[in-house]
Amino acid sequence: MKILVAIKQVIDHHVAIQVKLDNTGVETNNVKMSINPFDEIALEAAIRLQESGIASEVIVVSIGEKPIQTTLRSALAMGADRALLIQTDVETQPLAVAKLLQAVVAQENPQLVLLGKQAIDDDSHQTGQMLAALLNWGQGTNASQIILKDDEVQVTREIDTGLEIISLSLPAVITTDLRLNNPRYIKLPNIMKAKKKPLTILAAEELDVDITPRLQTCKVELPLRRKTGIKVENINELITKLQTEAKVI
Amino acid sequence: MDFAWSEEQLSYKESAIHFAQQELREGIIEDDLYEKFPKERWQKCAEFGVLGLPFPEKYGGAEADLLTTMLVMEGLGYGGKDNGLLFSINAQMWAVQHPIQEFGTIEQQEKYLPDLITGKIIGAHGISEPVSGSDAYSMHTSAKKCDGGYLLNGSKTFVTNAPIADLSLVFAMTAPEKGSWGISAFLIETGTAGFSLSKKIDKMGLRTAPMGEIILQDCFVPEENRLGAENIGAHIFNNSMEWERACILGAHIGAMERQLETSVSYARTRKQFKQPIGKFQSISNRLAEMKIRLETARLLLYKTAWLKNEGKPAKMEAAMAKLYLSEVFTASSLDAIRIHGGYGYTSEFEVERDMRDAIGGVLYSGTSDIQRNIIARYLGV
Repeated sequence: MKILVAIKQVIDHHVAIQVKLDNTGVETNNVKMSINPFDEIALEAAIRLQESGIASEVIVVSIGEKPIQTTLRSALAMGADRALLIQTDVETQPLAVAKLLQAVVAQENPQLVLLGKQAIDDDSHQTGQMLAALLNWGQGTNASQIILKDDEVQVTREIDTGLEIISLSLPAVITTDLRLNNPRYIKLPNIMKAKKKPLTILAAEELDVDITPRLQTCKVELPLRRKTGIKVENINELITKLQTEAKVI
Repeated sequence: MDFAWSEEQLSYKESAIHFAQQELREGIIEDDLYEKFPKERWQKCAEFGVLGLPFPEKYGGAEADLLTTMLVMEGLGYGGKDNGLLFSINAQMWAVQHPIQEFGTIEQQEKYLPDLITGKIIGAHGISEPVSGSDAYSMHTSAKKCDGGYLLNGSKTFVTNAPIADLSLVFAMTAPEKGSWGISAFLIETGTAGFSLSKKIDKMGLRTAPMGEIILQDCFVPEENRLGAENIGAHIFNNSMEWERACILGAHIGAMERQLETSVSYARTRKQFKQPIGKFQSISNRLAEMKIRLETARLLLYKTAWLKNEGKPAKMEAAMAKLYLSEVFTASSLDAIRIHGGYGYTSEFEVERDMRDAIGGVLYSGTSDIQRNIIARYLGV
């Protein structure tokens, strides 16, 4: 069984985000980038399925400009078999990403597509769902456990009210949540070995997909700084303050 | 001039930091207190690929170059907190594995390198003796030629890893009349008749790196266990020292960076007299000094490693880097304690341990005074 894992390169979660002076976006120049943590979990899940003999091949795909190759190389060093970079300098929004992935699925014929439930930069939380809809495949989002049995996959989902266990027939799209696994660190010799693994670059135009942005970003600003909170003595004081000072009730 | 690291080199460093943050941060206070060798952490480092990093793939290595290896050590020193373990690992890599790789026969390499790299066996390196330290080549340990090999007599002290070693690389005089041109190197397995490891030596810092003595009493070493040709011991020793210095110091640069970050963060959060202590110039000046020391030491070390990587001579540069880095690590460690005040003096804050570990640096692999001698010699004094 082939597994396709979609990964996104995002600003590393340790970096303190700076907004550009002209408010057109966040600063990405000279900023440490890394794989979106949820996608890393998806990749780990795929590698584990391969190690347990269930998957035969793990392919990673990412969309964007050439520097993303670094992140793809890391994914190969983690254990993916080969990588595909769909090169474009267009700002790809969730629908465009889903369409591009749909085209990749048509080429690669994976039985399972794994991706993070959301990317930590725009937090859209849409791509997996859109991809499943475009492919007309079943979807299991926010997975905290994945169990594969023959041509069926059981997904435990983390939802607001607790855990939901669903069963999907393959092929399927699964998006991964934080508690699914703890991704491995890359062993040093594997960085060297990853250099020999195939990394294909494909121009987005070749996939003949409309990736024109549907959304326009007007302005990016830092959220207002929260004022320091205070401690209240009792519930009555809290209610009074909420009524008279915060004026929210 | 290009000061940039390649993407690949940075990915090695990243990976090392990631690993060290997960695996080399816990349990060190206790291991330091009881002077316990962290076998588990050693094994994790072996599995992660540290021990094999610059060694051939056929022996389980990754064939990385010196700059990359040094950068990985920096990452481990920064991400982890166990200076002693890194010291132990470097001792094995540069003073045992590297000589075997450079001077060993194919049989010796095949027999020992894979097991050293996977952590199955641990290696030690004995050169210092009770009466020969800085003047290493005035050693007394002798190796007399006998039928099929050599008979070794003498003792070695300050041997890193000796108490836990399975294999020791020992230097002995094969031709005492030739002085430094009469030394040979031998590989001796623990358990060999006439070879014993005596008491563990307690010490001030680097306490997770066990140190001990080797005693040789009519210890027979077969000819095939001699490392390299007869009487080239001094050359073998000098060759490994250069790698050791670059990489041990790389780990220190990482530790200094971690120490600085810890100190900055404390200076920003600790409040006295109604403001963060970092607002006082007495604190912020110290932090600025620590930063300058870190970056100047880093430049010296990187330049040395770069020269070596290019195959250019770097003996004086190596001596300057070793001297300067170990001295400023000590100075900055004391400043880190001062910034942390009373808390910095407690074991719990893990600031004082760096100070004790740092002091070792001004002594091992040639003391600061010996480094000054080397520098003066190259200046033509």
